[in-house]
Amino acid sequence: MAFDDKIKDHEARRAKAMAMGGPEKIEKRNNAGVLNARTRVEYLLDGGSFRESGLFGTSYIKEMREQTPTDGKVCGFGDIEGRPVGVVAYDFTVKGSSSSYTNNRKMSHIKDMGAKRGFPVVFLSESTGIRMPDVMGEGMGLTNEGNRFWRKRESPWASALMGYAFGSAAWHACSSDFNVMRKGSVMAVASPRMVSKALNREVTGEELGGWKTHAEHSGFADAVADSDEEALDLIKQFLSYLPSNQNEEPPVKPVPPGSDEGGEKILELMPESLAKTYDVRKIIKAFIDKDSFFEIKARYARSLTTGLARLDGRTVGLIANNPQFKGGVMDADGCCKATSFIVMCDSYNIPLIFLQDQPGFLIGPEAEQNGVIGKIINWMNALLQVSMPRISLILRKSYGRGFINMGAGGIAEEVAAWWTADVSFMDPRSAVTIVHGVEEKDDPEKFNQLVDDMRDRGGSAYDLAAVYGVKEVIDPRETRAYLIAMLKYHRSRLTGGVGQHLLSCWPTSYV
Amino acid sequence: MADVDVKVEITGSVWKIVTKVGDTVEEDDEIMILESMKMEIPVLAPEDGTIKEILVQEGDSVVEDQTVAKLEN
Repeated sequence: MAFDDKIKDHEARRAKAMAMGGPEKIEKRNNAGVLNARTRVEYLLDGGSFRESGLFGTSYIKEMREQTPTDGKVCGFGDIEGRPVGVVAYDFTVKGSSSSYTNNRKMSHIKDMGAKRGFPVVFLSESTGIRMPDVMGEGMGLTNEGNRFWRKRESPWASALMGYAFGSAAWHACSSDFNVMRKGSVMAVASPRMVSKALNREVTGEELGGWKTHAEHSGFADAVADSDEEALDLIKQFLSYLPSNQNEEPPVKPVPPGSDEGGEKILELMPESLAKTYDVRKIIKAFIDKDSFFEIKARYARSLTTGLARLDGRTVGLIANNPQFKGGVMDADGCCKATSFIVMCDSYNIPLIFLQDQPGFLIGPEAEQNGVIGKIINWMNALLQVSMPRISLILRKSYGRGFINMGAGGIAEEVAAWWTADVSFMDPRSAVTIVHGVEEKDDPEKFNQLVDDMRDRGGSAYDLAAVYGVKEVIDPRETRAYLIAMLKYHRSRLTGGVGQHLLSCWPTSYV
Repeated sequence: MADVDVKVEITGSVWKIVTKVGDTVEEDDEIMILESMKMEIPVLAPEDGTIKEILVQEGDSVVEDQTVAKLEN
């Protein structure tokens, strides 16, 4: 056959590149129950859809070519549930998937095309960071930083950390719209070994940058997974709520049967006493489309819940005070969580729904050291630049500044209240002590009279409605119907459901 | 077996202790209830385990991040 030698040579080269770091390393990972770069791509994408870019890339250093198939990053294009995506899968079996000239070029191409052509990019990350000694000396001169981290949110980025994540893997995780961390992964600026040496004591990976650090403290892990497969499933789930790019509306999904039946449950879930707490996530699940709640940053700043959901098949972003944790008090970390969620939703044309039940902002020296003042105003700055519909629903109490940050006071286009709402500058029982200097334990009769006087100043749902401070007062069981109606009338028809994206260049790692 | 500290997330006072040493709890089960900001705020088990120690009494004042109980898991 003509060109027989060419065909055979091409196949041999292809097989060598596809073999990654070799059968021994692959088997070691199999035995540990961990996927490799190629099996991750296969699991993530629709079968047969992967089109690789840069298969024959290697280290730019000629002597290193044989040892660096695909230069340690498997990149290309494929489909997830029929929608195009770009994918960058770090191949840890090749030089720890360290970053170098060729693989950075491959990665930049996928990212640039995602932005230019309007499809999401998924990072399947595991890397030792930059490759040494390639980067030393002239290697620094070859560095092609360009616009690597100028994040304009033209299309979604989603990241899964599945192993060590230093350098590029960490930078892209923190720049992504969604980052899931598999347990056992470590994300940090420097390795545990380097840090232990610098600090002169042993620092483990978990202590330095394990899943608890990033899910509970830094907030850089939006979700946590027990396995590679679970992490990849979460990526797919996240993307299903979002459009492929900022110029599209999110996809509309069928409404599961039974979605209209949760209303009565709300009254069973809500405690009658204002002193008792509840988990707002249970309330949310009672009124959204069945099984559609996708929580984001579940373990971070828990007194504020954020998550994507669907109502009548359409994606919405929920920001809800959660009394289950710290009584729903608002704090500095909660401001960061709310701000980053507002930015993400507005950038991808997702309407925002606020659910209010909060006693105010946490006060005290630690709150001030955490910069709560600046973070409150960052949140306001972001909220005011939202061009997608905003709806704020007051469930129970809402005191002080938080009332405004959660969308009332003329910010959200629609503000309504359950008949249990109680709004004021502060809890009337605290106000009596501050204004009159009377404590309940010293003179309960006078105290309670003064509390009644404070309440007579009016903060009920009907008092607010009288001055059109809320536009509707609803029975909690009507929540689903109310929200679906508001979303229908407030859909941005003039622009085909697409917002102005004033927040699309907002910093990715909020401060 | 490792000890797990159960910490409070907010300053307040211990209103009701609803478990005792030796009880088995699952993650997010109530261990005790604080009073703070005029609310009854639950202190939840951070992980599955058995209550090894309860370090406070009803009526005690507690501050944010204080360990109020220990679990064994």
